[in-house]
Formats: sequence, C-alpha cells, structure tokens
Amino acid sequence: MDGIETRDVVVIGGGPAGLAAALGAKRAGAEDVLLIEREKRLGGILNQCIHDGFGLFLYGESITGPEYAERLAEEAVREGIRMETGAMVLDLAPDRLLRVNARSGYRLIQASTVVLAMGCRERTREMIEIPGTRPAGIFTAGSAQNLVNLQNVRVGNEAVILGSGDIGLIMARRLTFEGIAVKGVFEIMPWTNGLERNVRQCLIDFGIPLELSTTVVEVKGRDRVESVVVAAVDGDLKPVRGSEREVRCDTLLLSVGLIPENELSKRAGVELSALTGGALVDETLMTSVPGIFSCGNVLHIHDVADFASHEGFEAGAFAARFARDELPAAGKVRVTPGVNIRYCLPQSLRPGTAGAELNFRVTRPLRGCRVTATGRSSGKVYFRKKYGRLLPSELQKIRIRPAVDEDIEVACHE
Amino acid sequence: MSDASPADRMTCILCPVGCELEVRRSGRGLDVQGHQCEKGIGFATEEVLYPKRNLATSVPVQGSETRLVSVRLSDRVPREMIFPVLREIARLRPAAPVRRGQVLIADVLGTGVDVIATRTVE
Repeated sequence: MDGIETRDVVVIGGGPAGLAAALGAKRAGAEDVLLIEREKRLGGILNQCIHDGFGLFLYGESITGPEYAERLAEEAVREGIRMETGAMVLDLAPDRLLRVNARSGYRLIQASTVVLAMGCRERTREMIEIPGTRPAGIFTAGSAQNLVNLQNVRVGNEAVILGSGDIGLIMARRLTFEGIAVKGVFEIMPWTNGLERNVRQCLIDFGIPLELSTTVVEVKGRDRVESVVVAAVDGDLKPVRGSEREVRCDTLLLSVGLIPENELSKRAGVELSALTGGALVDETLMTSVPGIFSCGNVLHIHDVADFASHEGFEAGAFAARFARDELPAAGKVRVTPGVNIRYCLPQSLRPGTAGAELNFRVTRPLRGCRVTATGRSSGKVYFRKKYGRLLPSELQKIRIRPAVDEDIEVACHE
Repeated sequence: MSDASPADRMTCILCPVGCELEVRRSGRGLDVQGHQCEKGIGFATEEVLYPKRNLATSVPVQGSETRLVSVRLSDRVPREMIFPVLREIARLRPAAPVRRGQVLIADVLGTGVDVIATRTVE
C-alpha cells in the first residue's frame, strides 16, 4: 500500500447536517467515517444561535442551538466517529480525492463516498446593491449574531434591519435585549420571509415595527452609518418616487437571504440547481457525481436545523450503502416544479421509487390550495393534498406513496 | 368572519408549523379555531390571558479562552418578567468550567424558574 489515507465516508462540515450525516453513515453500518470541520468547535452556526426553538423534531423539546450542537456532537463521540476540527478541505476531485489542510498538516484522503454538508453563506450588501456611502456599521444579521453572542461585541446603539429572514427577526429581539434600539424591520416583499412564530415573539412582543413592501434605498454617513433612507416599492419591487423617508440609525443589519456554499461541490463537478443554489440530487441525496451526496443548507436552505439534520441522517445512510456497493447506478425520472412552486427536491427519482419524500416551497402565500404530483406522460395523479395556507417561508414535505416510473410535475392550484 | 364577534388572530408558536388561530371570548371561556393539534387550544388560552416566554442571552465567563457562556431559562416566565430577569442575568460572571445545564441562578426573582447554561465552557 502507498501512503494515501482511505475512508469509507468523509463528511465535510460539522453542523446540524454534517453531524447527523456522520451518525447516519455509522448507524447504517459504515465502519470508517471521518468528519472534517473547519472551525475549532463542532456545531457550525448552531453555536451562535443561542435562542431556543431547536430540537422540537429531533429531541421532542425546545432547546437552544448550542445545546443541540453539543448533544449531537456527544452522540457522534459516543458512537466512535472520528472528527477533526480546525481542518479544512481545500479541494475535492470528482473521483473523491480530498486535499485537506489539518492541524497535523496537509494530506490527501481517498474517500469511497463524500457527504457535502458545508452549509450556507449570507447575502451581502454588494449582492443586493444598496446605493450610498460605505461607512462602518453595516453587518449581515449572522455576523452581528456572532459578534454579540460569541464575542461580546456591542455592534451599535440604534439599528435598522433590512429583510425579514429568521436571523434578522431573531437579532431584532437579541439587540433589544442588549439595550440597542431597533427602529424597524423593512421587507421588500409583501410578506415576511421568516417563520411566523419569530414575527410574534421577536417583533410584536417588543413593539418593533415590521414594514412590508419597503426597502432601504440609500445608506448615509461618512465613517459610521448615520441614517438610512427607506422607500415603499411597487409591484415590480421598484422604489416608489416620493415615498422616501430617512431613519436615523448607526447600524444596518441585512437579513436578505442565504446562499448554499458550493465552492467545493463545483470543484468536484457537481451539477447545481439554479432554483436552490445547491446540488441536483435524487431521492438518495446523491448528486450528479457518483458517490458524492449532499444535505442540509448546502443542498437547499432549511427553515429549522432539525430538518437539516433529518436530511443529514438520510444522506449519511445512503452514503454508507454506496460505500458497500449496495446502491447501484440507475436511470432517473425528473421531478419538476409546476405552477406556484419555486422548487422541489429531490429533482429526480430512480425509476420505480415508491414512498419518495419530496420537499417543496411555494412562490407566494397561497390560501385554500391543492398540491398535486402528476405524471407528465400519463397524466396520472401520484399525490394530492389540500392545504389551508402555504407560505414561501415554510418548507413543505410530502410523500409520494406509489412507485413513480415517469417524469412528474409538482404544482399548487388555488 | 363576522364583524359582530371580533377575533384575536395569532400564530401558534409552539412548533414551526405555526397554525393560524382565531380566538374569540365566549362566555367565561375562549373559543379557539384553526389549530391542527390540541396544543393550539392551550397556547391560545395562555397567549390571550397570561403570555409566557423563554429567553436567551449570554454572559461573560471568567478563567477561560471562551469569552461568553450562553444561558436560557429552564422554563418560560410571564412575558412581563423578561426585562427584570435579563437585569438579574446581566450581573452573572460565572467562572469556568461551566457545564451545559448548570444552574447559574436558581428560582430567578421568585418565578420558580432557573437560569441555566446552554453550553459547556472548559
């Protein structure tokens, strides 16, 4: 044997999805599982999410992010999973050769299977192109969360939050607790992007105004933010002339969306979806590159960590089966989004798959609607369910019980 | 919905499903609609009559490279107790090591609820 290290399953990322993937692989019989985490501490972004509301599905109780992370990491330690922190995967080749910069130095690892669980990044000011000056005091909501919750830094005195994503809502309450006045949350869409429970307990409880169909059109201030200009937007999301209003603040938090972090996936030649920003996968969560699986926020953005973990357990278990050659290559039937559906995932199924679990998000709030999955050639209805209300902020899961052997379309009709 | 019986609309926050509830006062009790599970009735009753919340923050920890230890309450307290409890928590300066679940203030302000650490600090 030459000196190259080999592993059955390598998981990249030690957050809620990656830890679960490592556990899923181990429990499905993989002997040799290695998890690689860039940070010193396992848990990923859970560590800075000190609010409660985690674990309702996985543990049946409401706990905080750090508790959830520690519990999951402790399970992984108990089950003898090898985990390296402070180690970064520099490159991933299509044949699953990893180049890793670890505490012990640089090395190569040849993996039978790889599970991608790198999570996501936040959209920045540059990505949404807010005009104005470039002063200090502009943070993404998550970086402010890291500074306040982990580093004991006071980010400012008066804040405005742009975007109503969950982290922004959580931070509105967190800043209020720290004695920082939150002047308002402004959301460009006519509906909120966060979970309703966060609107209630983070904004309404503290009288923080939420203004929909409103955005920040200018940042003012030379060295530090002095104010922002907000304006109403029309149906095309364009600012309405004459509706501008100046709001004094020294801090602007951006909670304007998350983007799966797929730099390594691209290096490996993994095909990505323009709709999710993550890999195209089949029902085994395998990407277009055989033996490379994806789960959690690197695959698509989840509302709650529990669902990212759920996906991790699944991806890990399938990776273990692939490592044992129990997951033969197969053709695929396509799953495509129809009317009112922003995306569905997985994007393909192995022909003949029964009981497939599908995730989907709607494009806009819908009331009194019916979701269907229909065969594109036969017109057969594989799934049908009525919903009182569906929101874009809520990821939905359905199960297609019959075996599917043709392309299907998922649609939502009001 | 009729104008004659104004309803308090709220979203159940006990789980991420977030049922939209409509709560009307009927006689001495409450009439709740829109819940998908039984928890919704209890939630609406509590939310209208005596709302409760948990809270989370973090406090400086001494004798460790880790700067802060995050804390929460062992159970929810009446919503109006949030800021009084936060002021009590702000006085904490626990020394490392701190264990997850360790009680840092027992029965804070007589609420019957403890302030507990939510992470381990070596």
